[in-house]
Amino acid sequence: MINNVTLGQYIPGNSILHRLDPRTKIFWTILLMAATFLIDSWAEYLMMGLFTLMLMLISGVPIRQSVKGIKPLLFILIFTAVLNIFFTGGTPILAIGPVKVTYEGIFAAIKLFLRLVMLVITASLVTITTTPMTMTDGIEKLLKPFEKIGVPAHEIAMMMSIALRFIPTLLDETNRIMKAQASRGANFDTGSIFSRIKSFIPVLVPLFVSAFKRADELAEAMESRCYRGGKGRTRLKEIHYSKLDLSASLAGIALLGIIFSGRLFS
Amino acid sequence: MIIGNTHCLYGENMNAIIKADNVYYEYMAQNEGDIAVQAVKGISMSIRQGQFVVVLGRNGSGKSTLARLLNGLLIPVKGTVIIDGIDTSNNELIWEVRKTLGLVFQNPDNQIVATTVEEDVAFGPENLGISPDDIRKRVDESLKMVGMGEYSGYSPHMLSGGQKQRIAIAGILAMEPKCIVLDEATSMLDPRGRREVMDVLKKLNREKGITIVHITHHMEEAVEADLVMVMENGRLVLTGTPRQIFENIEQIRKAGLDVPQITALAYDLKEKGVRMDKLPLNVNEMVNVLNGLIKRKNSDNTDSARRHIVRELKPESPIIKVRDLSHVYMPGSAFEQKALYDINLTVNKGEILGIIGQTGSGKSTLVQHFNGILKATSGSVEVDGLKAEGNDLKELRQKVGLIFQYPEHQLFEETVYKDIIFGLTKLGLDEEEIKKRVFHVIDILGISPELLEKSPFELSGGQKRRVAIAGVLVMKPKVLVLDEPTAGLDPQGSSEVFRLLSRLNREEGTTIIIISHNMEEVAAFCHRVAVMNKGRLVFCDTAANVFSRYEELKNYNLDIPKITELFRELHNSGHDVPQNVLTVDEAKEFIISMINSGVGVRHND
Repeated sequence: MINNVTLGQYIPGNSILHRLDPRTKIFWTILLMAATFLIDSWAEYLMMGLFTLMLMLISGVPIRQSVKGIKPLLFILIFTAVLNIFFTGGTPILAIGPVKVTYEGIFAAIKLFLRLVMLVITASLVTITTTPMTMTDGIEKLLKPFEKIGVPAHEIAMMMSIALRFIPTLLDETNRIMKAQASRGANFDTGSIFSRIKSFIPVLVPLFVSAFKRADELAEAMESRCYRGGKGRTRLKEIHYSKLDLSASLAGIALLGIIFSGRLFS
Repeated sequence: MIIGNTHCLYGENMNAIIKADNVYYEYMAQNEGDIAVQAVKGISMSIRQGQFVVVLGRNGSGKSTLARLLNGLLIPVKGTVIIDGIDTSNNELIWEVRKTLGLVFQNPDNQIVATTVEEDVAFGPENLGISPDDIRKRVDESLKMVGMGEYSGYSPHMLSGGQKQRIAIAGILAMEPKCIVLDEATSMLDPRGRREVMDVLKKLNREKGITIVHITHHMEEAVEADLVMVMENGRLVLTGTPRQIFENIEQIRKAGLDVPQITALAYDLKEKGVRMDKLPLNVNEMVNVLNGLIKRKNSDNTDSARRHIVRELKPESPIIKVRDLSHVYMPGSAFEQKALYDINLTVNKGEILGIIGQTGSGKSTLVQHFNGILKATSGSVEVDGLKAEGNDLKELRQKVGLIFQYPEHQLFEETVYKDIIFGLTKLGLDEEEIKKRVFHVIDILGISPELLEKSPFELSGGQKRRVAIAGVLVMKPKVLVLDEPTAGLDPQGSSEVFRLLSRLNREEGTTIIIISHNMEEVAAFCHRVAVMNKGRLVFCDTAANVFSRYEELKNYNLDIPKITELFRELHNSGHDVPQNVLTVDEAKEFIISMINSGVGVRHND
């Protein structure tokens, strides 16, 4: 049955990364993602790797924590990388029938693996240094300009934070309903796939009924606490785009410039 | 004269924070052709600033509708509600109304919006557009006021029910209201959580002068109110001080409620001709009254202390044997938690065993081993000769029916009938047998056959709970385990459940294990009681013996029935009385016999 899942891996701290505005961090993530897919030469890989390592050190979070995000994805990472070995043309070093392993293939696989690892680490650094609430605030602010074309920025952010709030509650509830139905004779663990899916109906129906009831009650509670949309709403912790953010963004652009500077001379 | 009158009138208006005048509310019909349901029928009331008001009424009496009418979540179809001079039907000022009168709801989980405690408390002030610095100040003060200062960074799902409700109260406080209305905010809490919430409410009322309207069906909570209102069927049937209210014991019982045990005892004694000048409401008052009636006896060599009714115990023939049972949740992970330590317990065939202990003491974990939902980390559980760990889970779960808290939340089928037979269909019985069992069970539980073809979601709360219990009973379990079967039910609903259970025990010989926080019910119905604390079974004995160990129970944060407390106090004030009297009836018989045997009764005539 479902056990405690920890959501949002926020680790409290006071590093520069922690103090940055979420918007800056989202900007950086996009920047780095783009960069990871542009890097090509081994020199660029090396610099990019050093850069990622630097971020990990700046965050002040134990290295073990920041690479933890890779573990659940390891299989997929290796799988995609290995596929590359066999499907890249070039000089063969080993051939078994139609299957060929090439030098280029091995390099491509290593490079892809490194890219993905760097991506995952950057992304986890963001979630490790940002609370879910700050994150949704950041997303709300980023979407704000699009309100004019009908994007409900505040509502999207509110929905995200409510979802975050209720995921542990609903997991607990799922666990409870599964136990109760098992006591009534339900069987979730054996049988064909079809019958197993069917066996979840007694869990899903009560779960949905209760989720709707919760939604109703939460709406009432929010209304009676004077909630009337995002207009005129202030925040306990306002996010500020400070000088630090500006310099961090500029530094990011500059560093990437350095990484790719080699291309200018080649 | 005119000046005086105006002043008087003015004064009253100024003071009344809540004023309702002949208010009606009806819910629109769900289907065409149905009649609209009138939930509130002509309520008028006036509550002064600073009063502590308790509104009593059974489930479905219109209490929750009333709460929603008070802060403008609902607008009366007829009549007016005026909050601090503002009509709730005035759309422009509705936020003023909600700022003045905050509402705390029943379900602690469903009113917390944010992912941390402090952000949740900040939610109200944020909506009011208050500056971040002021919000911070309000959040810190409010959390301190409800005693949750250290929890500001916590995630709400890490908190207990009582703590969550205190957060909800802090969330209202941060909006600086004049009045807080609580809609059954204590009904889903354990006794400790209830006490925490009540203490906070009293403090807010006393120190900040905030008007409190506390809607509940826990009678003990009404005793300390300034004003009590009783609702029945959408109407306000009684209003007065607690003493005035509880003197109308018949009317209260008619409204599906009950009076505190002490008051019930006083009433019974009065009926037997014992004279009392004023109705005692709590243990101290009753001790004073009885001290006046019964003279102290110096010698203690009478048998009065042993004259207590001894309940017949079931002979020792074990049906469940628990040996050295330990359980660890999520072993090896960061969340590893030892929940049970070396439990040894024998449950006898045909008995009713109560399990008491604070929330988190391991009660639910223990009983979930009885039908193999949880597996022992070490030790063993044997049910009726069957080891509760092998592959015979199906057989085991047929022997042991386990009913979880709020079992009505598991209903899912299209009709009541289908829901009841959910487990049965997996046993390969023929249709005749299935039908026979269903009708037998609904007869025991008092579910009327017309309900069988209805959707379970159309039923009332109490009916749903019975249907859920029926779904387990049709499996003909030898042992029925219930985890807080009366949680959230009003007094009448609770005592019905207990009556059904003891009937089942008597007529079908079903062994029953009940987890409950209601000591009065446990004392009245259980043959034996097991006490748990911090994952250990601390003792298991007859109900009378368990509840006479007051000091130990207090250490485990457990109460004893008010009646038992009364006899303890009588004993302490020098009377030769037993300390293990458990029910109102036992107490009545004992006191009457003491008075009649002329143990120095002082006649008042």
